[in-house]
Amino acid sequence: MLSVKQCRITHSEWQIVLPDIQVEPSELLVVTGPSGVGKSTFLHWLLGETVSHVDITGSILVDGKSVETKTIEKRRIGMLMQEIHLFPHLDVIQNICFALPKTQELRKKQARVERARKLLSEIGLSHLEDRYPQQLSGGEKARIGLIRALANQPKVMLLDEPFAALDPNTRNKVSQWAIKTLDNQQIPTIMISHDLEDIPASAQRLEFSHYYTGEKA
Amino acid sequence: MATTIRRLIIGLGWLLLAMIISLPVIGVLIGIWPGRFASVDALIDNLPLFLNYNGLGPSILYSMLASLVAPLVGFYVAFSVYTQYRFRPSWQTMERRLAPFLSLPHLAVALGLVYLFSAGGLIELGLGRKSITTLILAITVKEVPFFLFVISAIDRQIPVKKWLLQGRALGYSESASWWLLVFPLVLKQSKLALFAAMAYTLSVLDVSLLVGPNIPSVFSVLVYQWQTGFSERDLSFAFWANLTLIIMLGVSIFCLYIHQWISIRLFRYLAVMASPLVMLSKLSRLALAWFPLFSALSLGIILLFLLRSVGFWSGETYSLTLWQEEWLFVQQPLFNSLYTGLASGLIGIICALIALELQRQYRYFFADYIWLAAILLPQLSVVYGWQLAHTWINGSYSLIWVLVSHIPFVFAYSYLVLKGPFQSLGDEFELVARSFGYSYWQGWWRIRFMLLRPAILSAFAIGFSVSIAQYIPTLMIGAGRFPSITTEAVAIASGRDLNLTSLYMLLQSGLPMLIFIVAILFASRIDGKSHAIS
Repeated sequence: MLSVKQCRITHSEWQIVLPDIQVEPSELLVVTGPSGVGKSTFLHWLLGETVSHVDITGSILVDGKSVETKTIEKRRIGMLMQEIHLFPHLDVIQNICFALPKTQELRKKQARVERARKLLSEIGLSHLEDRYPQQLSGGEKARIGLIRALANQPKVMLLDEPFAALDPNTRNKVSQWAIKTLDNQQIPTIMISHDLEDIPASAQRLEFSHYYTGEKA
Repeated sequence: MATTIRRLIIGLGWLLLAMIISLPVIGVLIGIWPGRFASVDALIDNLPLFLNYNGLGPSILYSMLASLVAPLVGFYVAFSVYTQYRFRPSWQTMERRLAPFLSLPHLAVALGLVYLFSAGGLIELGLGRKSITTLILAITVKEVPFFLFVISAIDRQIPVKKWLLQGRALGYSESASWWLLVFPLVLKQSKLALFAAMAYTLSVLDVSLLVGPNIPSVFSVLVYQWQTGFSERDLSFAFWANLTLIIMLGVSIFCLYIHQWISIRLFRYLAVMASPLVMLSKLSRLALAWFPLFSALSLGIILLFLLRSVGFWSGETYSLTLWQEEWLFVQQPLFNSLYTGLASGLIGIICALIALELQRQYRYFFADYIWLAAILLPQLSVVYGWQLAHTWINGSYSLIWVLVSHIPFVFAYSYLVLKGPFQSLGDEFELVARSFGYSYWQGWWRIRFMLLRPAILSAFAIGFSVSIAQYIPTLMIGAGRFPSITTEAVAIASGRDLNLTSLYMLLQSGLPMLIFIVAILFASRIDGKSHAIS
């Protein structure tokens, strides 16, 4: 579960005071709003990145524990961005292996590769295992990107318009598949979207412009 | 008519470039062409003598060791430094200082290290005055800023920040993400830079003569002795030595490929195994010390040369006597260097811009190794061929021929510096200018050239410093009758007068520094006015 409390985004000329947010496992919160209003910045702040052009305050709780003081690598929050950024020097299996946690069970190379293969076969993309990112289509990249992020067993998932660059048909399919997969894995998810048709009826919605004020308090 | 003139100019441009880039290859080919010998049999008869030459094996091994260790260690140190500084505010300061650091001649760094850290030096660290360790250390230290410059250029082409973010979001530290995700690609793309550093180390003469081991000396010193000999035996040996040098370069390149293959596989394996790279991350943190240390070293070296040149450590009182006495002798080499540096720097820039613009118009950019041939081949072999050709055509030992011999090297570095900024500038600005009624060349001059000015100034300063530091071409083409500040510095440094050597070393380091300061001042004025790219 993800909770965000008393979040305030302050720019030199404007500010946004968000209501308290709670995203339960399997729940999807869709963030909408005009460009430049700080949606991506909000996600990067949740991830733990230092935000420079605005000031963001508030508390972030993952499974009831505060994570604000934790570095990105310790937060266990996954993020899929508009550009998927599969690492070009690693093939598909190696990209997924990179994300697998180093548990006792996954100590040996063979076990890691087998787990990655299993994850890949579950989405019917086994035939791509030896391919490098440059040899994949946009839709394939997006799906492998999500599988890679999930392989890391994140406690929260952030999606910053990861499917925006795909053609409308593929975008629709991949987006529905991603939402279903995240739902099955019971991962609380926040997604930025411009395409309101993509949003499932069950999703919560947060329109940033509703909380926008022209002046600082 | 206008089209014919334009075609003629473009044709001439390609011809000029073809000449510049083919000169190094021609040089090497002349050097290893057996047909120039009256008797090929005699040449072959001398082969066993060459192979049995006393100390040949260790000498080759020394050179191979230096050519592999110095560039690779320099590269790893540079990457560690880069990982530590890239996202710190101090990176911008460091990036600005890279160019002046690059300008510091290898010779100045080598002698500076010896004067500072050898027995009898300012801080005795037990560094040998003349040893393979000193040679490797000097080249390694000097290559780090070069590789930092190369890595920073590669960084502009890949989404490093996003990759690191992904790595961290998947649970890796920033340092581990650098090594697991960025390093393999940077290593692959730094291949040419590593080749260049290897070729340089294989045939470097001035540094080898002054701080390299004596018995046996490194291979380049032997090659030069034979190349400048007069006997039939020496000339045969020079031929075989040239051939050996080319083979050594081939072996070095092969070793580099093997290293790349192993290294990339190793990091891939570590990525698959989700290795946190704790030790490597801790070691990388040590690289934070590089910037203050190198700054202190550079300043220390300059200060040391300055103080020695005014007699600070010679037991005498501080005086400018040495400068006054020496000024008469130093003037000609100083001005020779200055004129050659300015002219070759300017010609290098013009040719690099012509090369880039012609490729842009042709809509195809040729592979870098074609343009960088001069710095990818062993300089001793290249210049030896030129020297033979220069003798055949009865060329004079004057500025013009020395200048011609500097241009391919200066051009290669100018091209290396300018390529990134030139390519990153899209056609859109000029397209807008043309829509306002400006001609193609008006648009080019008013937009592209103006936006490239900071990069051009930087490339000019680097080209100038490359020319100042040229030892082999100046010595071999000038035949000792065209003294430069570098050839004189080496000659004097072979003696025992440290104060006089310091004076020459100060001038050798000071000239490029001066041009860099001027370039930086101009560039900051331009930056201030237009926020142009650099």
